[in-house]
Amino acid sequence: MSYVVPIGPYHPALEEPVHARLYTSGEEITDAEVFIGYNHRGIEKLAMQRNFIQTIVLVERVCGICSHSHALTYALALESIAKTKVPKRGQYIRVIVAELERLHSHYLWLGIALHIIGHDSLFMHTWDDREAIMDILEEITGNRVNYGMVIPGGSRRDIDDDKRRHILEMLDKIEESMKRLRDILLTDKTVALRTQGVGVLTTEDAIRIGAIGPHARASNLKIDVRKDSPYCCYDDFDFDVAVWNSCDVFARVVIRVLENFESIKIIRQALENLPAGPINLGVRIPKIPAGEYMFRHEAPRGQLCYKVVTDGSEFNKRVSIHVPTFRNAPTVPTMLRGNSVADAGLIIASIDPCFSCMDR
Amino acid sequence: MQNYKKIPITKDEVVPIAEKMRAEGVTLAMIHGFLNDQGLPNISYEYQVEEGIDSYTVDGEKVLPSISGIYDLAAEWPERELMELIDVTFEGVDTSKRLFMPESMLSGQGQIFVTPMDELIRKTQSKEEN
Repeated sequence: MSYVVPIGPYHPALEEPVHARLYTSGEEITDAEVFIGYNHRGIEKLAMQRNFIQTIVLVERVCGICSHSHALTYALALESIAKTKVPKRGQYIRVIVAELERLHSHYLWLGIALHIIGHDSLFMHTWDDREAIMDILEEITGNRVNYGMVIPGGSRRDIDDDKRRHILEMLDKIEESMKRLRDILLTDKTVALRTQGVGVLTTEDAIRIGAIGPHARASNLKIDVRKDSPYCCYDDFDFDVAVWNSCDVFARVVIRVLENFESIKIIRQALENLPAGPINLGVRIPKIPAGEYMFRHEAPRGQLCYKVVTDGSEFNKRVSIHVPTFRNAPTVPTMLRGNSVADAGLIIASIDPCFSCMDR
Repeated sequence: MQNYKKIPITKDEVVPIAEKMRAEGVTLAMIHGFLNDQGLPNISYEYQVEEGIDSYTVDGEKVLPSISGIYDLAAEWPERELMELIDVTFEGVDTSKRLFMPESMLSGQGQIFVTPMDELIRKTQSKEEN
């Protein structure tokens, strides 16, 4: 018997609004379609009515998870138009916050994935570990989300020596805990049974559809903006781009665990080698000439694009935002085909979607 | 720092450039679009060439050929989104189902979202008065 099973836009298995139509034959999904746009907030239009400093505050609210990534990419686009040279200490602090954000985002997704497969004890352990990262972010920025750390020309707040030492101590503890979590995730039977061979996206399909970020790297595609087009001094740091070749939901779990270790490596290097000097060029509305630039940043979920057009005034002429989910969501129908309806929620979640981000 | 190069092209060059880029293994980073000062579409095909972006831009054309046959869904989703949000048509793209906008609002009517708030209020008030 064939049925069309609608999921969403509002559904208990979805954290955010999206609509998927599953075409099924019995329990098996034969085809699927995805529809977006349920959380459109007109942010790009609002950005055209605000000056550059106000826009930083606005774009931080595109996403509650990767808020720093949005502010950072927007600021990088402006600085590129103005050919501004940001002080190195400011750039290192931007990298530290960006990597802490990646850590907490990956932990968040791991927790959600474990909750979806019914492994609630490990879900709680994961989110308990995440709290330590949130504490560090709060210590540095004063906030758990929307950190307000980026301004055009640098970072807003400094990291003093006491904080630096304390964060390094905290990172040691987080890393120890992460090793334990890694060992459980790689050997646990429940995780293996629910994720291995589920929601496969082959390397060829990932290239064809244009998947990016950890989602692409879990399909054995070695792409990472931090390595491919370095910015913010990322080329000062020694880190690896993790890839995994099983191309299924399990690979997406493993990739995020491996990337957490790389992020800790980067944060440690940045803190130990934090250059002396100013953190920014002064807090004021910057003078940006007429121009346009598209800047890309490796956000926790993948490549985040900001295209900014300016006309020489203190307002944006145009801000266009495209988030990683916009590139990864088209892979969902391909991953769903041939799987059971029961796995649909997990497969949709496996791209680490941020639909509100995407709808902007 | 990531480089960004803007290259103006005509609509006839869109497909040959996409075919050349695809053959060379270049990634299509994004297709961006907005309305220029004359209210006409300005569409940029952003290709990731080495460490930077080459932005091939067509200005003032309301009808463009689709490159979804070359770049598949990496092009189709941005094209469908742009068709629903601004008054531009990508020939060959299936518009029978919506992607971004409600089904009752196809055909570039997404401009309602870029109408200034005071104008929307004025329109609503004049409707109520009538």
